[in-house]
Amino acid sequence: MGYDDYLAAEPVIVTAALTGGVHGKEANPNLPETPAEIGRAAAKVEAAGASVVHLHARRPNGERSFETARFQEIDDAVRRHTDDVIIQHSTGGTGAPDDVRHQPLRTDPPPEMASLDMGPLNRYDRLTSENTRALVDSLHAEMVDRGIKPELEAFNDGHLNEVRGLLDRRDLADPVYATLIFGPGTLAPPTPGNFLNAVRNLPEGALFNTLGFGRHQLPFAAMGVLFGGHVRVGLEDNVYYERGELAESNARLVERVVRVAAELGRPVASTAEARAILGLK
Amino acid sequence: MACPYLEYRSADGHASFDHERAYCTASSSLVQPMRADICNDRYDLDHERDCEIYRAHAEVE
Repeated sequence: MGYDDYLAAEPVIVTAALTGGVHGKEANPNLPETPAEIGRAAAKVEAAGASVVHLHARRPNGERSFETARFQEIDDAVRRHTDDVIIQHSTGGTGAPDDVRHQPLRTDPPPEMASLDMGPLNRYDRLTSENTRALVDSLHAEMVDRGIKPELEAFNDGHLNEVRGLLDRRDLADPVYATLIFGPGTLAPPTPGNFLNAVRNLPEGALFNTLGFGRHQLPFAAMGVLFGGHVRVGLEDNVYYERGELAESNARLVERVVRVAAELGRPVASTAEARAILGLK
Repeated sequence: MACPYLEYRSADGHASFDHERAYCTASSSLVQPMRADICNDRYDLDHERDCEIYRAHAEVE
């Protein structure tokens, strides 16, 4: 993927990361946490142009849940409220045992997509989400068994080596789909140079999604649009609409990036187009 | 065993919530949901080992 894809006005897939699992309503009271809230938010982002919703599960008080049953409640609510959105579950989980990390894959039906974290990520001062190769392989194996498309999350350039390593170890269905992530801490430093470098270091033929944390969400989405990639926005990654102003909703963030893509000349992919681009059945 | 600095509150002075949320009396602030797993020693987590806020306050006391 690259600038030629931008010039060709290829459709851009918009993913909305609705809730996350790190912060919650204490950071932005508009962040959806319950299955009903997430279902309603999914309907609004779908109407705004998102074709994929990236989902985490939470307990009623907002704390993290990895239980299949809680993901099932959320999926049921999303399906009740939406027409045809693509459901993508997170399998991330700092501090959670490996067997727990598999639980989001076991809903009925399974999600069409699931995240696959490509390596270690520091959290706070004393935690690391390890994401060992053994866990990556076991999660990928279960995704294959259940017909789930992996979304390979690369937190930094070293994780692009891990993407290549995964391709060496296992057969991945085409197209490979990787999210390039930029922000503080263990993430790739959010600079245009690092973005271009990450795009150059992708395996041949891989598609990329662009994720900038916090105030980097909009500029990195714009770069993703310009360089032929896809984009992810949402309250999981950024609770503000602009400096000092909390976002009213996930939909507001989606609406804005859809406007940016349109102004730059790339149409937003319909859900059917997104399925075709990603090779989903 | 949960962290001794952990309380569950339905409001923090700025906002109120339908369900009581984790509050850290050491930092005098609501707790991020992910950090609440450390406070509650869930999964493989242990507040005495993994929480820098607990460790700093335990040292002072």
